[in-house]
Amino acid sequence: MTIRTLSASLLFLFSLSAFAGGKVVVYNWAEYIPDGVLDDFTKETGIQVEYSTYENNEVMYAKLQLQKGKGYDVVVPSTYLVSKMRNEGLLHPLDKTKLTNLKHLDPDLLDKPYDPGNQFSLPYLWGSTAIGVNSEAVDPKTITAWQDLWDPKWQGKLLLTDDVREVFHMAYKVLGFSTNTTDPEQIRQAYEKLQTLMPNVLVFNADAPREPFLAGDVNLGMIWSGEAAMANAENPAIHYVYPSEGAGFWIDSLVIPAGAENVANAHAFIDYMLRPEVAAKTVEAIGYASPNLAGKALLDEATRTNPIIFPAEDVIRNGEFQQDIGPAAVELLNGYWEKLKTGR
Amino acid sequence: MKIFNRSLVVLLFLILYLPIGVLVVNSFNASRYGHSWKGFSLQWYEKLWHNEALMQAFFNSLTIATLAATIATILGTLMALAIYRYRFRFKAMATGMLFVVMMSPDIVLAITFLVIFLAVGITLGFWSLLIAHITFCLPFVVITVYAQLKDFDPNLLEAAQDLGASESRILLRIILPLVLQAVVAGWLLSFTLSLDDVIISSFVTGPGYEILPIRIFSMVKVGVSPEVNALAALLLALSLLLVTIATLLTRNKAKS
Repeated sequence: MTIRTLSASLLFLFSLSAFAGGKVVVYNWAEYIPDGVLDDFTKETGIQVEYSTYENNEVMYAKLQLQKGKGYDVVVPSTYLVSKMRNEGLLHPLDKTKLTNLKHLDPDLLDKPYDPGNQFSLPYLWGSTAIGVNSEAVDPKTITAWQDLWDPKWQGKLLLTDDVREVFHMAYKVLGFSTNTTDPEQIRQAYEKLQTLMPNVLVFNADAPREPFLAGDVNLGMIWSGEAAMANAENPAIHYVYPSEGAGFWIDSLVIPAGAENVANAHAFIDYMLRPEVAAKTVEAIGYASPNLAGKALLDEATRTNPIIFPAEDVIRNGEFQQDIGPAAVELLNGYWEKLKTGR
Repeated sequence: MKIFNRSLVVLLFLILYLPIGVLVVNSFNASRYGHSWKGFSLQWYEKLWHNEALMQAFFNSLTIATLAATIATILGTLMALAIYRYRFRFKAMATGMLFVVMMSPDIVLAITFLVIFLAVGITLGFWSLLIAHITFCLPFVVITVYAQLKDFDPNLLEAAQDLGASESRILLRIILPLVLQAVVAGWLLSFTLSLDDVIISSFVTGPGYEILPIRIFSMVKVGVSPEVNALAALLLALSLLLVTIATLLTRNKAKS
């Protein structure tokens, strides 16, 4: 088997040059594009897809930066990295004339401050960070705001995501600040506010907050929309509450790195991903929301009206999207974050 | 006291093997989340078989691990012999540099490799991955083999020379059989290191050649599915097989 795979690998290496005129190299999370979509794309266009994966935004960013934006044709960074990569010249501007399916996208999710006019990025999937409640233990009606998590009766009971920007988002919103503030005074106030929340915290969860909810270890805390949708499908008692001060939102965007070698194919690929039927398939398979309005219309009633996946318009307007806040504010936040987590 | 000792051993084995046991059991669990038993099922194995990208990454990982471990074992054994038997210039430096590679944090090696590959113009993919894996496995083989060579009676070699054995004969008939255990251990260690590595690999691999650990870590975004349990159970079976073969190989040699 090994020898066969080896020869297959070698063959594959040589065959790469044969397809030099017709490929697109996609750098993305594993299984973040549903089964079959890539094959269908190749069948239709004749363009081969090379799919490569990374395990977090930072690895992807470091690799692209070291390679000066070369090696990959389409990448899927999160919101805050789009503004950072754009500012550092790592992105190739999009040619909108080649993107015929642009018209299907929700205007509410375009032209955001992290990329004004969507010159460099188009939204692929998006989601939110809000409050998860298990109705077997906590009445969901009593939880309506981030401030409710500060109630002393939750001592040692809460789950927070292990993400400094998301945790500070709660305090900013309770205090009425922007989630993208760089004002040291506001950051300090948020830190002090969070200090008073720490006695309530049971655990910081980095990758799968649904697990403690499903296991019954935690009945109240922060959770991401996709995770909440999965948890809710497994146990309908787990509810997802959008806090009145505003949920945190993020978008994963399709971008073309500055050094991409197959720019035309990259545009063809992005345009294919923006097709309504592909967008619908993506939501069904992955559980995060698509910004594609025509695609949303193709979904079945239950998915389309699931408020965990697709929140109401006023919920979106009430929330805020993260963007890059620059190295000084990041350093300040990280300092406070260490202090919070070590309890000083 | 005896009961205490025994329960300590039992506890130790529980800590070591319970998580692995849970993983294997869950690979046959019909439930997606594994918090409760929802019946016996082979569906995750079936899904794994049809998950081409995951299987390809698995075979790529096995290919790289086998090749890297084999090449590193050959080079490393020769190097350990050289350090043991011969005096040459820069010997101390060569030995010291091995420790530097072994002790360097992965992230340092990762960035170094990437910068060098880009500077030399090696396309990132199979070859860059193989070179990097051989490099970080090498010191472990040298140290394992050298440790065994050190305990070995040099009179044996002199006796062989006195009796007229050539250098290659000494190597093949005397030294190799005596250090075989360490060579096998070095190979197994390298194989595991190579199969496990995430940090260096994510930097030095290219789009055309994906390996298993990176793919699994990347699945966290949409939720790691139980297919990974099935895959891990298969890998566990493979490691058991390798360890059994290694034990048999070294035991037979020791007897004769």
